[in-house]
Formats: sequence, structure tokens, C-alpha cells
Amino acid sequence: MLKAENSLGIIFFPAYDWAISPTHPEREERLLYTQDQLREEGLFDIEGIREYKPEVAETEDIERVHFCFPEAEAIATRSHYISTGGAIKAAELVMQGERDRAFALVRPPGHHAMKTVLGSRGFCAINVEAIMCEHIREKYGQKRIAIIDTDCHHGDGTQDVYWHDPDTLFISMHQDGRTIYPGTGFPKDAGGPKALGRNINIPLPPGTSDAGFMMVMERIVMPILEDFKPDLIINSAGQDNHFTDPITNMNFSAQGYAALTKMLKPDIAVLEGGYAIQGALPYVNLGISLALAGVDYSHVCEPGWNPETLKESDEIMKYIATLCESIPNIYFNPPAKSNEGIINGDWSVRHRNIFYDTEGFTESQTESLLLCNECRGLLKVQTQKENGPMGFGIEIPIGACDKCRNTGYSILEEAQVKSKYRYMQMINRREKEYMRYGF
Amino acid sequence: MLLLGIDVGGTHTDAVALGPKGIEAQVKVATNHDDLLSSIKSALSEIVQNTDASSIKQLNLSTTLSTNAIVEGRFEDVGVIVSAGPGLDPHSFMLCKDFHVIPGSLDHRGSETKQLNNLSLEEAISSCRKSGVKVYAAVTKFSPRNPAHEKEMELAIGDNADFITLGHQITGRLNFPRRIATAFYNCAVWRVFNKFADAISGTLEEMGLGHIKVNILKADGGTMPLPLSRKVPVQSIFSGPAASVMGIIALCKITHDSIIYDIGGTTTDIAIFVGGTPLIEQEGINIGSHPTLVRALKVHSIGVGGDSAISILEGIVRVGPTRVGPSIAFGGEIPTLTDALIWKDSCDCGNIGKSKAGFAAFASKIDMEPDELADKAIENAIDKIHDSTRELVEEINQQPVYTIHELLENRRIIPRKIYIMGGPAKAMKMDIFRKFRLSTEVPENYDVANAIGAALTRTTTEIELFADTERGVMFIPSLGYRENVPRTYNLEAAEKDAMNHLLAHLGEMRVAADGDNALITASSSFNMVNGSTTVGRNIRVKCQIKPGVVRTYS
Ligand SMILES: [Zn+2]
Ligand SMILES: [Zn+2]
Repeated sequence: MLKAENSLGIIFFPAYDWAISPTHPEREERLLYTQDQLREEGLFDIEGIREYKPEVAETEDIERVHFCFPEAEAIATRSHYISTGGAIKAAELVMQGERDRAFALVRPPGHHAMKTVLGSRGFCAINVEAIMCEHIREKYGQKRIAIIDTDCHHGDGTQDVYWHDPDTLFISMHQDGRTIYPGTGFPKDAGGPKALGRNINIPLPPGTSDAGFMMVMERIVMPILEDFKPDLIINSAGQDNHFTDPITNMNFSAQGYAALTKMLKPDIAVLEGGYAIQGALPYVNLGISLALAGVDYSHVCEPGWNPETLKESDEIMKYIATLCESIPNIYFNPPAKSNEGIINGDWSVRHRNIFYDTEGFTESQTESLLLCNECRGLLKVQTQKENGPMGFGIEIPIGACDKCRNTGYSILEEAQVKSKYRYMQMINRREKEYMRYGF
Repeated sequence: MLLLGIDVGGTHTDAVALGPKGIEAQVKVATNHDDLLSSIKSALSEIVQNTDASSIKQLNLSTTLSTNAIVEGRFEDVGVIVSAGPGLDPHSFMLCKDFHVIPGSLDHRGSETKQLNNLSLEEAISSCRKSGVKVYAAVTKFSPRNPAHEKEMELAIGDNADFITLGHQITGRLNFPRRIATAFYNCAVWRVFNKFADAISGTLEEMGLGHIKVNILKADGGTMPLPLSRKVPVQSIFSGPAASVMGIIALCKITHDSIIYDIGGTTTDIAIFVGGTPLIEQEGINIGSHPTLVRALKVHSIGVGGDSAISILEGIVRVGPTRVGPSIAFGGEIPTLTDALIWKDSCDCGNIGKSKAGFAAFASKIDMEPDELADKAIENAIDKIHDSTRELVEEINQQPVYTIHELLENRRIIPRKIYIMGGPAKAMKMDIFRKFRLSTEVPENYDVANAIGAALTRTTTEIELFADTERGVMFIPSLGYRENVPRTYNLEAAEKDAMNHLLAHLGEMRVAADGDNALITASSSFNMVNGSTTVGRNIRVKCQIKPGVVRTYS
């Protein structure tokens, strides 16, 4: 009988009755073959591996993280509430000590969902990992958390949610944004003024395979993690770096994903993208599950796998080696100033236009952080969907000082009096108060 | 018209003859462990003496034969030939010495991704032949999607085998390690079971009962005709608990979510009913340490029974899990739960005087009032039963679901009623009621509920249909039925086909096909997309004859 070295909880929720559209990559069939493979392997008969049912997230879980306009229920469907609930269940299993590790094998994904959400972007509506992490912090106290995003696309949503948070280290390794959606994710984005060096982007060239990824793990990710000493390691386990993925150009394999997982030792992994649903997902998900559980995965490989033909060219390896030279510096010697935001009095202000590809509209947004010496600083966001009504959000962060807290409430009051905004939302993490106004 | 039921248990063999109005004869004889046939014979002959043999129509038999053969290791060597492809190392599932892994693989859609290596297959067979193996299990990964490699193996084994089990014939459900174990055990007990089946037929002939139809009980609360059971003897294991559960269905009108306790000598079996239907184990039962695909009612056993010894550890009175001989009331030396119940005048069995004297002596030895000792012992037993039940219900409520609809519907089991049977049932009824505060019932004839359940249970069967319209195939693994289907084949057609094949299969088993008991238990169709075009449908349908009884006496 096989036995897991680390007890593992798997929340498998394929949402067999949900799709973005009938032929969209994010459709009912996506985890069907993964389920067949896991069942046929007898994965859940391995001593120490158990399957669990997801919970359904509460609206408060979502509104603790996101400014949602017009409101959470209008943006997140039932399926989002459940995939997020699946990640929350994974967190609970680990936090309560029922399992050593957990894997939320759920859909739809979430890493393109930003702090402010007005709709769906890159198949994502709400940020599954961020909602899970803040659920953990709300319930189990402030934790240092590292989120390692191994999806092929830049985790621009997660980057945005944690841009100003010095207690969350976000590392995204992805196909270079000059060659793929969403076109972002460069090393110069090191974090906001209060969280410099906490946002690490590793853009990899198309064609990167197992050796390249492992070099990045060994030379960038692991040394930084060793220094950051997180209480929890979260893996945004997207699987679209796979050599057969239809919408990307990388050469990563099931063996590679399993080896990466073995090295990273995440407490919780959450499925993100991955659209080679027959040729990749069944094997990659099996590989990740076995690696998490500490069970031998050496026989897990795709039927057409040939490591020789997938191998990176010397040029690619050289290029990655140069990245490995420079990128750790961003963490160890962060720049003095954030590359984004202009100083306006006590505020650091960013104006941005954000395109929602899934729904096809652009948001114009002004985000301001109150620069404070006592705390992370008060955050306010003013947002408008193409000629639509205006929304306004204020966040009093965890550990906010009295001044920031009180400023937050007086700004809210002022905004209410002026009645310039159709929707308003207050996230007060200090007193755990969450309010929304408008309709 | 009489229906006979015989349940060969660990200690007793129970038999009943049931007429339209109820029990016409009942017998309890001691089970002769080394000669089960003799126990069956003596129970049968007593029944026959007390009834009109010509009116007997059917005998349903629940026997521990296969179970015992497996538990005691009295089975023959099996050649296990498997082929796996990518995934877990197949050597992890090696359960006997003649275990051979052949290169070759099929993927999750049943496409061949690597040819079966014939040379390696020949070598494996010749090695088995050299070690004198005469029965073979051939199992490949994903054979329920495509049996081609298992059939190649069957062809290659040919005359070397007296009997071959192919993995896909067991069930269409996926689980490669369980399929290997199930096929292995099926082969291991094949010969011993068939000898037994011959002997049963011979005995019936001798007794002038050659005309009756014989069915063998399965662990899922159904039966299979004797001729069929000869090919799938593994399905006859652990049918005892199912017989008792089916007995309760015959004796009581169960409509709510309920808990069933069968309190025996060494163990208490716990079963759960949802609405009026007993729950089935998701995948299958474990044989020894090996999980299998043998379908079974979900029955959880705990080490508390009437013969469980009372012990004191660090001042806490405990009952079980060890059994140290019989109760004092039946000549034992250490007081048991039954002795505690006798002390409290809840139970009237065995030598009451001796039991009470022994119980009091034991209590004084440990410096305790016998009343207190009895109360605490009973409380401990009930607590154990209560806690295990809570865990079991919680586990069932945690069972995964895969659609938004199912998850939001969130049907939770909330037991409303308790049914108890087995020796100490009556004696423990009030204590159980006080603990659970749920309506608690002990059915009449609870001591032969197992044999009644055996007599009345229906023939059951399940099939899985799998269709892939891109590849143009429809396949029902357990029937070995494969058909080409057009691209227009859809879920509706698949459901109809599944039901028709299920009923036709019953017909082949000479069972009156009753459409009312046939139902579809799972059914789904997925569009398969390549790029942005739908290239076909991936269809799965499961249907079954649900377990149930042919009559009730409530
Ligand atoms: Zn992606
Ligand atoms: Zn402050």
C-alpha cells in the first residue's frame, strides 16, 4: 500500500455545469480527463490523501479583498463563490492541522482579478488566492505569506491586490509579457512605495523547459523564500506552461511541474490556468498531487513526452542565467522608489486604464495611497467603467494607525455628502468592518 | 410458494422459509467452520421437514465461503498480468508473486498510446506456467475505456488458464489498483467457490429440491444467480451485513434518514439509510488491506458487541474492542457487555444467577459497586456507538460533489430514526434511545432478520455505458458490449441504450426484468472541443437495478 509522506487534502471541484461559453477554454470539459486520471490511478486510496468538498465563499470574504462595483454578487457567479470556497476549504484544512498540505483543484481561476473588479478579465472574476489569504489572516491573525505564481500568464491581478502589502511576497514566473497576454510582468515592477521588493516578476522566454524553470527555482525563488521566511507558501498552480498548451509557447512538462512542487513545498496549491485538457492536465495534476503528498511521481509523464526535443537552446539558458543574476537584487536591494505612482502631497497616486478582455470594456481608475510613517497607509480608489457611474473604495489596512483610520472615515463621510459616486465601499481591516453604499 | 433464505454467519447459520403471510419455518444451527456445506445441509433439511418441499421456489444463500478463503489465505496462486503506462508505479500494486508488468498503454479516452509488448507478455505467461499457475487476472489501465489490451492478453494466455478474469468485465468504474485487486481475488477463490457451487447443486438434487432457483447474496444487498456467481465469485464476499440490512427493510417501513445497528457478539455494524434507501460504498469494500471495486452497502463495523469484555484502564470502565471468550452467563470468566445488561435486568439469557454472581465478584475485586460498573460499561458501549455514528454521518455528508447544482442543493443526512437488531438489541434499546433521543425500534423477529433479508432480496446489477462520438464508439465494459455509434449519438440515446442493455442482461440471467426497479444513477454528456469547434460528445451513463426486497412484512 502506498502511503503519503505529507497528508494531503484535495478539493476537487470541476464545476461540470459551468462554462464561460460552450467552446471557451474555460468550459465544463476542462477537468473531466483529470478526474478520470486521478480516479483510475486510485489517488484517493493512497493512505494520507483524501478528497474534500468545497465550501461556498461568503460575500464578505470577497468584499474583504476587492472593491467590487456594482457589487460582488453582480460580478462573481455561483461558480466563483464555489471555487473560492474550495480554496478557503484548502486553507482551513491546513490551518486547523487536519492536513499537512492541500490542493484546491477548482475552476474557474482568479489570478487576473485585480484589487478593483468591475467584471471578468483573462477568464477570472475574483482573485481566489487573495480571498483565501485574507480569510486566513482575518481568522488566524496576521501571517507572512508568499504566493508563488507558476501560471504561464503574469499574475497581474494578484500583483495588483498585494502591490502595497509588505507582508505578502508575490513572485510570478511567466512567459515574457512582450509575447503573450496580459503583456505585463516585468522586473521593474517591484511593488508600491510601502512594499518595495515584495513583488518579483520573472519573465521567461518562449520555449523555456524543465531546466530553465528549475534554474529559476534554485537561483531566484528559493533564496528569496529562505530570506523572507513566510508562515505560509501558496502556489498559484497554473498549468499552461505545458508544452502542449494551445494558448501559450512554453515547454514545461508534468515531470517539471512535479519537481518544481517538490522543491517549493507549498502549504496550499490552487489551480489556475491550463488548457491542454487532454494531453497535459491529467498528468500535471497527478504529478503535482503526488509531489505535494511526497509520493513517488517518477512514472508520471505525458504519452508524447520527449525531454530531448523539448530542451531549451543554449541561448535560452544563457538568457535565463542572466535573469537569475539580476532579479534576486530586486528583493535583496529593492529600488528606492516605486516605478509607478506620482507623489501628490501626502499621497502616491496612480492613474490607470484597465482592459477587461473577457467582457470587452475599459476601466479608468485612480488609486491613491496615503504615505504614512506609522503604517502601510490608507488606500482609496476612484473608478469608472466607460461612461458608466463612478465607484469609490477606501481600505483601512491591517495594522492601520489611528490617523489613517480616522482619515478613512472622514473621507468616506465627505464622499457621501458630495454624492459624486454611485457606489461606495469601505474595507476596514483594522476593526473588521465591511460596508457598501449605493445601488 | 416459499422463499428460502440462509445466512451462514461466523457463529450461527440462520435459515427461514417465508410464505405470503410470513415465516413458515425458522432454524438456527451452529456454523461448522470447516465444513460450511454441512451447516447449510442441516439447516435445509430441518426447513424441508417443516414445510412442503414442492412449494419451495427459490433459495437465496449468503455465505462466508469466499470471505473465509481469502481471510485465511486458502486460495490458489494467481498469475496477475498488468499493463499501466504513465502514472503511479504499477509495482506498488503487486499483491502476489506471479505479478508481471507488460509495457503498453492506453490513455483516458481509451486511445492506444503504446502497443502492448508481445514478447514481454509471452515471457510473463511462460513464467506463470513454470510456477504452475492455472488462473489468471489480466488488467490494463483504462480498460473500461478500451478493452483491447486485456483481450490481447486473454488471447495470449489461452489454454494455459482454467479461468481468466479480465479487468473490464468486473465494472466500468475507473480505479486501476482496485481493479487489479478485484480481479486477483476473483481468480483466487474461483476454484474453491465453484466446488462449493457444485456441492450445493448436488445437495439440493439429493434433497429433491433440484427444481429451485439458487441465488447468491452480494455485499450490495442484492443477489446474483448461482450460474453467474461461478464467474464472479468475488462478488459473494462480505454479504452477511447486507443480509441483515435487507432484513430490516423487509421488517420495517423505513422512510426517513435512519441508522441501523446490528449488535453482534464481537462487533456492531452500523448502516445508514437515506430516505428509505441504504447507502452504497462509493467505490467498493476493502478485502484485507486491499481496496476493491466490489460494490457494497456502506456498513461500518466497530469493536463493541455482547461478548465484548469489560476492562478498567486508569479508572475508566471500557467495553471492547477485545473479545475474551463468552459472557459469564454462557460459561465465560470475564464479565462482558451482556453480563452488564443481565445485572441491570435488561437482558434475560444464559445462566442469570452465575452471571450476576460473577459480575458482582468482579466489581468487588476492583472496588466498585456492581450497579455503577454495569452503568458505566453500558454507557461506554453506547458512547462508542454514538461517536462512531456521528463520524460516519459526518464523513458521508463530506462526500465530494462535482456540480454547482449538487453543491448548492447540499442534501445533508439527518437521522430521524434508529432500528436495532442482533442479540442484545432489546436489552440496549432504552439506553440507545436515551443517548440519541431519536425514535428507536427493535423489529419483531430481529434475531433472524439476516435470513429474512437473504430470502427476500432481489437480483441486482449495475452497468456503466461510455460513449465517445468523436471516435464513434459506445462501450459497456461489464457486458463486454461495444458498438459503433454515429456522431449524432446523444445522451438521450445513451440512457435508452443503457436501460435496454441492463434489462436484457437480467433476462439472460433468467430474472424477470422489472423496469420499475431499474434506474439511472448518473448521466452526463460533455462537448469535446478542439480549437473552437465541437468535435464530439463524451457521454457517461450509469444505471442499476436498485437493491430491495420482493415483499415486506411490516
Ligand atoms: Zn494562464
Ligand atoms: Zn498610517
